[in-house]
Amino acid sequence: MSNGVQTAQDTGPAPEVGAAPVAAGPSRWSSAFAATRSFRPVLLLVIVLFVYFALTQSVFMTGQNLQNLLTGVSILWVVAMGMTFVIITGGVDLSVSALSVFVGLFLAKILDAGVPGGIAVLLAILVGALVGGLTNGLLIGRMKLSFFVVTLGTLTVFTGVVNLWANTKSFYITAPVVARLGVDDTLGVPTPIIIMVVTFLIGLYVQTRTYFGRDVYAVGGSLPAARLSGIRTSRTIVSVYAITGACAALGGIIATGRIGAATPQVDNTLALQAAAAVLLGGTSLFGGAGGVGGTALGVLFIGVLQNGLSIAGIQSFWQQVVTGVILIAAVLGDRISLGDLRLRRRAPGPEPAAAAPPAAPAP
Amino acid sequence: MDDRPPPVPEPPGAGAPLAVVGLDKRYGGVHALRRAHMTVSAPGTVHGLIGENGSGKSTLLGILSGEKQPDWGQIYVDGAPVEFASPVNALRHGIAMVSQETALAPDLSIAENIFLGRRMVRAPWGIDWRRTRREATTVLARLQLDYDPRRLVGTLRPDQQQMVEIARALSLNARVLILDEPTSSLSDDEVAALFETIRGLKADGVSTIFVSHRLKEMFALVDEFTVLRNGATVATGPVAEFDEDSLIAAMVGDTKALTRPVVTSRPRPSGNAPTAMSVKGLTVPGVLEGVGVDVRAGEIVGLAGLEGAGRSELLEAIFGLRELGGGTIEVGGRAFAPRGPRDAIGRGVGYLPPDRKVQGVVLKRSVAENLTMVVTADTGRLRAPRDRDTREIVERVYDVLRIRAASPSALVSTLSGGNQQKVALGKWVAAEQQVLLLDEPTRGVDVGAKAEIHQLLRRAADRGLALLVSSSENDELLRLCDRIVVMYRGAVVASLDAEEATEPVLASYAGGHHE
Repeated sequence: MSNGVQTAQDTGPAPEVGAAPVAAGPSRWSSAFAATRSFRPVLLLVIVLFVYFALTQSVFMTGQNLQNLLTGVSILWVVAMGMTFVIITGGVDLSVSALSVFVGLFLAKILDAGVPGGIAVLLAILVGALVGGLTNGLLIGRMKLSFFVVTLGTLTVFTGVVNLWANTKSFYITAPVVARLGVDDTLGVPTPIIIMVVTFLIGLYVQTRTYFGRDVYAVGGSLPAARLSGIRTSRTIVSVYAITGACAALGGIIATGRIGAATPQVDNTLALQAAAAVLLGGTSLFGGAGGVGGTALGVLFIGVLQNGLSIAGIQSFWQQVVTGVILIAAVLGDRISLGDLRLRRRAPGPEPAAAAPPAAPAP
Repeated sequence: MDDRPPPVPEPPGAGAPLAVVGLDKRYGGVHALRRAHMTVSAPGTVHGLIGENGSGKSTLLGILSGEKQPDWGQIYVDGAPVEFASPVNALRHGIAMVSQETALAPDLSIAENIFLGRRMVRAPWGIDWRRTRREATTVLARLQLDYDPRRLVGTLRPDQQQMVEIARALSLNARVLILDEPTSSLSDDEVAALFETIRGLKADGVSTIFVSHRLKEMFALVDEFTVLRNGATVATGPVAEFDEDSLIAAMVGDTKALTRPVVTSRPRPSGNAPTAMSVKGLTVPGVLEGVGVDVRAGEIVGLAGLEGAGRSELLEAIFGLRELGGGTIEVGGRAFAPRGPRDAIGRGVGYLPPDRKVQGVVLKRSVAENLTMVVTADTGRLRAPRDRDTREIVERVYDVLRIRAASPSALVSTLSGGNQQKVALGKWVAAEQQVLLLDEPTRGVDVGAKAEIHQLLRRAADRGLALLVSSSENDELLRLCDRIVVMYRGAVVASLDAEEATEPVLASYAGGHHE
């Protein structure tokens, strides 16, 4: 609270009420560092786990294993990137589990019908975006229905449609494009890893370097304030569900590539795991704060844990137990640091008053 | 730094229903309370607690109601030292808080809310609803209220909800009622009713700690004052020892502070200034009936009226937030029928909503982003926001509004209430809107910020903007406006020039008493 040194002639209390000059913002780096605040705990966890497994399991640090680690979480990664945007707006998309399988089937069918590989993949992603935007997006963004009810409903519908359409059979895919995306290398790196990097970079760009990204935060921070400022809030919400749809589609495409077939098995934990990764990464379930950087770490946490445990020969279901506990602990830690359960430090009775220096006569 | 701890008074006598001594509380680096003290001297006393935003009032109230624990200090009830580990604990000692944000369950009935947190009247087969309702009615009758206890709280007006909260406190046999800014959302009639209620309670020996930013009304009600500044008690004593100036001086800590608004008589906008906005026969079924208002460029027109008279609804209708049943709106001489905020914004209309934290600003985003939200709402959504494109706008608005924030990249949530409100206002200044609709522009901001915002609005008008200001404080309208339009039950009942308007005249029109 230093008011600076007053010069001798400047005696009177300066009537300093005028406009404070616009203070220079903190430097780029310090604000970038401040932005990491929400995911610092998970960053620490990932590092600790990583170091632990690296020291205790000799296989862990091999290039091959790290590749396996990453490709193992590639589907979750891609889906979680999309989920991040939805959660920032204050929603969750439960339907991605079924939508990704639906798109996998769609891809198998159109490839079977002779659509060229590249076009088929693009079409599949487009279908994912359209289905997500036109069902979840319109119902939540325009009709103002609850995201929970809508995406639970579409999850159920898509699951049913998938089973009806596939008649519980799997469709084997021979088109090379799918294997190329799911298992082969590109430029010496497994393609899923490249897809992960690309989706992350696109997500980061959209989040930080576009007005759309700002809209997403504004809508999540306060929908009424955003709407009253002239932001097209319905369109923003439709868009984020289209984005999760597209990401689910991409996840579905990688999945078909990894199996070499489109199977009508809907894994309901995909959406929940994605949401868990996003929340682990420090994105707020209430919207308005967070980002894909944290999500990447959240997914890595799950990946490192899964991989390390399986190398150590421990049942991989422990990964779920630990992830769940950590997720709750992270949120709880947040709550505690907010001061609800602060340690109390107070003396009984009026001792502090007595301990105070003898009261000077009031001026 | 040089804040010497004030002399700590002796523990109070047994006559004081509630007293605190030497309260100290830190949040991390923030020293929220510095050995503050306060004594409600006798049962039935109305004790006014004032201080600017950030003076430690909320912390003190939090401690009194048991929601927060002090680091040091002692609470006395009837002269005996006590400790409040939780709100329930405080309630048990007869201290009940009626907070700014009403803590009621909107989907439960009035009776259920009054008995919330306790058991309702039981019968052998479960809850005895008839007796529960009867008891609720009895409590409500103590406040001279005839609400149907079966009515859902969510359907009540804010002032009615507040009364239900008071009723709940009474039903808990509260002996000290803490009212945190109870009047900030009430009309003058409702305030009068509330004061009647408090005086009634006083006769019953129920004390009240009354927090408000409206000093004038406090003089009509309170028996004694405590003034907080920077977390310390800087003045306390019976009401006779204070006047408005000395209170403000104590709060601000600087007698030269220009927080005392000088009622500047602005040069009236000349009679031939062009009409900026003209509303004719505006009807919203069930809410507005044929409302007509004209606002000229450079003019500040006030909207007076009770809560529910249609003031807010009129502003919302002009901004495209309500479906119009008829009538016309002209802005800049061209008619338009807004179907949403974007239509209105496109015509140069801006709107300051009454609920700053939810509707006015996005708390979790930066000052700069909030300020440029309107200007950039039509920029290509895939374009990159660049600070340098908007820096000039942000700096200009900073300058005009004198926003005090650490930097433009500080989150709005870190700002004081008054500065948040300036940000909410600033986005319309940034967008250079010609017509501003303002709903309760100074609700919940401290005296200093209020005067400052008034000054900003006057200067905006001087620059040729047309302002339509709705306020539940007639005092504020009289001070600010060139003309005041009074609404009653969805219709305009009077349009008065500043000279002919006085509080009694406004109150009489607002109450539907046409002389």
